[in-house]
Amino acid sequence: MTQRTVLYVEDNEYNRKIVRQLLGRTNYRLVEAVDGETGVAAAFECAPDLILMDVQLPKMSGLDATKVLRADPRTKETPIIVITSFAMSGDRERATAAGASGYLAKPYSPRELLALVRQFLPEDAA
Amino acid sequence: MRWVAGVPASLHTKLMAGFGVVTVLFVAMAAFGVHTVLNTTQQAKLLDEAHQRVGWSQEIEQALARQMQFSVLALLSGDEATIARILRENNRFNELLARLDADEAAEQHGLVEQVRASQDEAMGVVADIANAIRDRTLGSVTSDLLAHQERIDAEIGVRVGKLVAAEQRRMATLRDSIASANRDLLVATSVLAVSAVVLAWLCGFVISWSVILPVRQAQGFLDHVATGSFDRRVELPNRDEFGALAERMNRMSEELHRLDRMKVDAASELAQLNASLERASRAKSEFLSNMSHELRTPLNAILGFTEMMADGLYGEVPEELKDPLNDIQVNGRHLLRLINEVLDLAKIEAGRMELALDDYSVAELVNTVRTAMRSLAEEKGVRFVTEVAGDLPMARGDSGRLTQCLMNLTGNALKFTRAGEVGIAAARNGDEVVFRVSDTGIGIPAEEIENVFAEFRQVDATVTRQFGGTGLGLSITKKFIEMHGGSIWVESRLGVGSTFFFSVPLRVGESAG
Repeated sequence: MTQRTVLYVEDNEYNRKIVRQLLGRTNYRLVEAVDGETGVAAAFECAPDLILMDVQLPKMSGLDATKVLRADPRTKETPIIVITSFAMSGDRERATAAGASGYLAKPYSPRELLALVRQFLPEDAA
Repeated sequence: MRWVAGVPASLHTKLMAGFGVVTVLFVAMAAFGVHTVLNTTQQAKLLDEAHQRVGWSQEIEQALARQMQFSVLALLSGDEATIARILRENNRFNELLARLDADEAAEQHGLVEQVRASQDEAMGVVADIANAIRDRTLGSVTSDLLAHQERIDAEIGVRVGKLVAAEQRRMATLRDSIASANRDLLVATSVLAVSAVVLAWLCGFVISWSVILPVRQAQGFLDHVATGSFDRRVELPNRDEFGALAERMNRMSEELHRLDRMKVDAASELAQLNASLERASRAKSEFLSNMSHELRTPLNAILGFTEMMADGLYGEVPEELKDPLNDIQVNGRHLLRLINEVLDLAKIEAGRMELALDDYSVAELVNTVRTAMRSLAEEKGVRFVTEVAGDLPMARGDSGRLTQCLMNLTGNALKFTRAGEVGIAAARNGDEVVFRVSDTGIGIPAEEIENVFAEFRQVDATVTRQFGGTGLGLSITKKFIEMHGGSIWVESRLGVGSTFFFSVPLRVGESAG
């Protein structure tokens, strides 16, 4: 029984805590990163099955990080869900252009997030 | 010309003076002409008289000659009839002499007297001859009488000759003086005529140029002013109407210059003000945008934790906490929507809201709204119907924003309707799609209809408390529709219901047709 790994790149502590608690009740393994650069490094290191990438990040933006991951053979195929701070016109297009597999607009509810994660990465029964 | 221009008289006076000078010249010429004609007539008369007098003196000479002939004849023939002839000639002689003497000049008078004396003496001899004839003593005295007679005749002859010569001289003198006077007259007339023409021409020239020059100067000045330069003044020597006009033009130019400076100053002030306002507006929008983001992040966390709590992630929620937890969620969502709408408005006002144009299906758009709103309608027990015309082709626009607009209107309709029906309809109208959202809600009072699209406007504060809402939704909806090139309007009856319409071009960003 393999645990699926989800990498969550987000600078806001409380948002990380929500996802941590949300996924804590599931069978996913969560890896957290607080900025774009450590997010990319973590992605190379732990080879996640799914990446949740916030757009507004320190050091390297979520879109730039997505481009870097897409350019690398190790993470070329990994699904990446880009989370924007607000549903602005054009954000979805920019995220898709950067290589995002999915897209979630803030404010999202934890229910929505979990549903999207399950859609991309079926949870193995605990 | 400058002098004439500088004369302190009106233009009218100057023109009248010019015409006056010319008129005086013509009158003078006419008077001189009349004078000349009169003078010539007078001289002709004098010449006539002189000619007549020469005639008379010559006749006197002839009469004398015949008298002498007859005297000799009487002496030789002793015929008394001849004496009568002599007397007849003598009468003629005297008559002519008297005529000549009648209007005689003083110089000739002495000569006439001498002739008359000699004639009297001659007539004495004739009387002697006549006596001798009558006394038949002619033969003895003939030689004496003849000698006497010849002497006197010679004397008279000389004197009459002098008289004739004097008359002829007089006539010659008169002719000469007339000729000379005529010459003078001709010269005087010519000089007068030429000077009159020159003077009239000069008057006209000076007066007309004293008018034309200032007009030309004024033209140049006005052309200069017309190009927007006010640095010149028009300087005229005129102290007449043109002078006054020039003074006024200068005042006008100064006033225009002042106004122009004011305008330029005002424009630059306005431009500065505009720039600083624009900076302020941009700063405000940026501040709002940043603040909205900063506000939303913690709010997002609050909503997330609340939802997880309500979902029992942290354990079973006690019954008495479910209601306050729900209140936290409702108010949190309301605050989030408010923040989002404020950000939308700020972006629209900063001109940084752009439409993401794409092809969309009107039926799908309406269906999205229907799906999202159906549960709310069911909760409220309101009938919810949608109707989309079958002839609608693929449309082009920002489907996300249009969905937001339709969602907004539908949300409002459901919010204000407690029973009855809420309907969405979409139909084609030429090159436009017309959306219609109707309800059987509380309606809008007539005096509030024009305010419904203003920011933070709801019918009144009670409505806000009772029904919720941010008061920004309609304002943002209107702005999005206008960005599409469409329009929004509402028909409503208080207590009966409202119907909102909005129309957008079927293909936004493409030319109609």
